[in-house]
Amino acid sequence: MAAAHPNWVLLAYRLPREPSTPRVTIWRKLRRLGVVQLIDGLVALPADARTKEQLEWIADEVLEAGGEATLWLGRPGSIADERRLAAAMAASVAAEYQAVLAGVKDVSRGAGSSGRRSLRHLERELQRISRRDFFPPPEREAARAAVRRLAADLEEVAP
Amino acid sequence: MKWATRAGVHVDRAACAWLVRRFVDEEAEFVFVEDPDHVPAGATPFDMRGVELSHHGGNCSFETMLVHFGLLDPVLTDIARIVHEADLADDRFDAPEAPGLDVLCRGLSMVRYDKAVLSVTGAFFDGLYEYRRRTLLLGNEPS
Repeated sequence: MAAAHPNWVLLAYRLPREPSTPRVTIWRKLRRLGVVQLIDGLVALPADARTKEQLEWIADEVLEAGGEATLWLGRPGSIADERRLAAAMAASVAAEYQAVLAGVKDVSRGAGSSGRRSLRHLERELQRISRRDFFPPPEREAARAAVRRLAADLEEVAP
Repeated sequence: MKWATRAGVHVDRAACAWLVRRFVDEEAEFVFVEDPDHVPAGATPFDMRGVELSHHGGNCSFETMLVHFGLLDPVLTDIARIVHEADLADDRFDAPEAPGLDVLCRGLSMVRYDKAVLSVTGAFFDGLYEYRRRTLLLGNEPS
């Protein structure tokens, strides 16, 4: 039998329909962590000390908001299932890296008010995305390279 | 007094331990447990699921402790923003120091046991406190 080491952490949760504020807050936090949603009310992340802890805090927040939440450790039943999860997560961050690439193009065209400020913003955006980038797509290197190039260009224009 | 938290301390627990020892209980003794069920009798648990001194309403444990112990020091409030972002990175505050502090604490916990981590991070936070105290003293509100 293959090693049954649980490599995913899952949060099953349900929130009251009203008020809607906690629903929105919690969904935003889950998105920021980079979860993949399996079905309504069931999200997953690759398991490590940090992801497990972050989902634990969110589970408590769901409970405090009058909802129900359970945390699970497990692994998909087949490699194909796991690959599908990883692909969905990679596609989602790939779109975010594309947005950074588009941002770099805008700045190069002089569309931004201040090139330097836009650069800082893009750098922080990259850092944020990489925190939830568990299965890096090719767009990651492309976005990083583009931001590095932009930084070098701005350095040349106004040292 | 005895205080208990989860083993493998990271930034929030390190900051809480520093806060406790410096502002609440000079003689504080810390124990580290693998499971909340293993908290020794008589110890005050913190930064664990289901206890009072922990995450509540989107706040990290350090923020909860400031409220719980009535610590109104503006320098501590300022440090709380950094700890919050280093621990949760939810963009509630603009704290550019946070990613750096997160990396330092994460790295330390890879090469030192919990007690040694706390003695190093204790010095970190003493330094951070002094640095921010001087900034506030001169009236240059940190952005």
